[in-house]
Amino acid sequence: MNAFGFGNIVLIIGFLLIIAGCYCLIRTYHLLKIIIGIEVAMKAVTLFFTYAGYVNGHIDLAQAFVIISIVIEVVVAVVAAGIAINLYRKYGSMDIRNLMKLKG
Amino acid sequence: MTAIIYTCLGLMLVFGVMAVMLHSMTKSAIALAAASAALGVVLYEMGAVWSALLEISVCSGLVTVIFISAISLSNMDKKELEKVYEDKKRMSLLPVILIISGVVLVIAATTAGVQLPQASAVKDAGDLREILWNNRQADIWGLIIIMITGAAAVSVLFRESDWK
Amino acid sequence: MSVMAYIAVSFLVVPLIIIVIINLLSRKTAERVGIYLAGACAVIQMAASITDFFLLSANHLHEYKFALLWNMEKEGAEHFGVTSLSLVILFCIGFVSFISVLIALRTIDKRKISYVNLLMTLVLGMNGMVIVTDLFSLYVFLEIVGISSFVLIAMFHSRVDLEGALKYLVMSALASIFILTGLSFIFIKTGSLQYSQIIQDLHGGGDGSMQTFIYAAIILLIAGFAVKTGAVPFHSWLPDAHQSADTAVSVLLSGIVIKVAGIYSFIVLTGLFENVPAINMTLAIMGIVSIITGALLALRQTHFKRIVAYSSVSQMGYILLGISTGSTLGLVGAVAHIFNHATFKSALFANAAALHEQTGTLEIDEMGGLQSRMPVTGFSNIAAFLSTAGIPPFAGFWSKLLIIMALWNGGLRVFAGIALFSSILTAAYFLRMQKKVFFGKVPDKYAELKEIGGSIKFAEIILTIVIIGAGVCFPLALVYLKGRGIL
Repeated sequence: MNAFGFGNIVLIIGFLLIIAGCYCLIRTYHLLKIIIGIEVAMKAVTLFFTYAGYVNGHIDLAQAFVIISIVIEVVVAVVAAGIAINLYRKYGSMDIRNLMKLKG
Repeated sequence: MTAIIYTCLGLMLVFGVMAVMLHSMTKSAIALAAASAALGVVLYEMGAVWSALLEISVCSGLVTVIFISAISLSNMDKKELEKVYEDKKRMSLLPVILIISGVVLVIAATTAGVQLPQASAVKDAGDLREILWNNRQADIWGLIIIMITGAAAVSVLFRESDWK
Repeated sequence: MSVMAYIAVSFLVVPLIIIVIINLLSRKTAERVGIYLAGACAVIQMAASITDFFLLSANHLHEYKFALLWNMEKEGAEHFGVTSLSLVILFCIGFVSFISVLIALRTIDKRKISYVNLLMTLVLGMNGMVIVTDLFSLYVFLEIVGISSFVLIAMFHSRVDLEGALKYLVMSALASIFILTGLSFIFIKTGSLQYSQIIQDLHGGGDGSMQTFIYAAIILLIAGFAVKTGAVPFHSWLPDAHQSADTAVSVLLSGIVIKVAGIYSFIVLTGLFENVPAINMTLAIMGIVSIITGALLALRQTHFKRIVAYSSVSQMGYILLGISTGSTLGLVGAVAHIFNHATFKSALFANAAALHEQTGTLEIDEMGGLQSRMPVTGFSNIAAFLSTAGIPPFAGFWSKLLIIMALWNGGLRVFAGIALFSSILTAAYFLRMQKKVFFGKVPDKYAELKEIGGSIKFAEIILTIVIIGAGVCFPLALVYLKGRGIL
């Protein structure tokens, strides 16, 4: 059962979450789903940081990192939601395909 | 302890994938909140008590409120939503990708033989509060500046006077 | 010593004071006075960085450590540090912000207070990135730069589409995810993320199993920082972001943001991981591909700002080549090219602002023969593109020569040859642009056109003088560096 040790499971689940989040970020057509993609990937990052802190003994430093990155991610989410609402007021829909007019 | 951690890790993965794949935005936001709650339990069991608290209160609470308010400010009819966005079709490739990459990762974990370190004893004598306020002051300055940036950004983006 | 302490602290404190002042004044006064205050901040930063450069060398210090309102003597505490390299970049930040303020005096007519606020936070973020000594703080200030630049691009949304801002947001979020994951893998192995700690831990060797984490972390960090630099294959956000943004913001983006957020992070990365040879080869390959792709794609564009944006992609490739050699000569060439690129790219965008103000369009097919109507703009455009192509005696020639010499000495002769050859490509696309816009016959609707006046003309004249002056004075700078023992 070497593959199913605690560390391996944490890393595998973290990678799967990052793949899910990045896939959502790239392929979606809805403006607010972009924010959901960022959030899901940030959960995986939090998991990685805490696991690193758990393993090398500096759990308090890892908690400081996690707290700071949670605050940053909230500010990014608020700004992105602001842009989404602004675009909705201008174009009347939340579809990204309405904006794809630049070429080259 | 291990049963709780493994269950919550699995729940977090399931809720995360549900948040990506559901096409109704409200249900997506609620699935995200549930994933945050599961992550909070995992963090607590690993010993990170304060970050579990912040994760549950901020990501489960505040971000969900932001989502629900953004969704309600841009309401669209549910059937029209489904017809326009086709998100269900585009996202349906995701479970296949996840299962394939899961199998690849498990094979890599068994054959590569990467030796992961075990949990070691806590090395710092200090406490989170001391570390955050004494050692990481540059990050605290960064946080103050980010909040100022966020305030300036919101005041620009939500101004009503120029909407036509 | 206290003069250096005041100067070092002023890089963070002066923009904060200006933000506070701007928001406390009444609205009418703030709208009139705000941009001048921002210009004053940029001038103070330029003066402070020059003074500190000479003070640092006079005191024979390598790095000046300081802390802002906390005790840095405690164990494990982090500190800010100012080295000669960071002072050069701080000077470039001040210079490009000054040019942006000059352009903004003419082109921005509403929301001036928000522009000044966001410009100050952008400057704060970039200053912070250059003076910290810890990888996680680097990430925090990188996010500040990302959010500020994203809102600056999206702000004037009454003019053009917002697609550029949206692409920038998605790629920037992707980059942040990669960078954070890489940081957590480094954190698994070493106990903290400070620069001194990482160098100490990695030089002690390590068992083989941990090395996979470090390699994975390096790959993720290179991918994340490459998105922020606009290096190929992650360059797709760059042209759209430049086209969507107002010209005062495009100057900032191309002139300093992609360099501080991307190139400076690569310099830090190669400084930390010196004993991993694969990094240099990866950077060199990315550099060569960027140079060629940027130049080839610029040949097909018809919009003035998109040509300039693809030229930025190409020049970032040159700077990446300079860093990838790993030698001091390459690093000096790269930093010199950072400064030169800031000057000629700002000149090109100032010309774009002038053209847009006077003719109302930026499609080069619609313009023609403007050399006779707008002589100052035409001349500064010629100076800028000759410097980009690396023709002596302009400044770009010297920095490209240093980079190619460093490549030749390092053994990468093929790359040096390709870099030399692509100067011809650079000259080709710029000549096409110059011919279509400035030479030829004047269309009838532009027969009454007048030259741009005011602050944009002032900016163009200053930039032309700096480009020519830097080219003439460059050998003196080389002699000075040799005297100090750096070269």
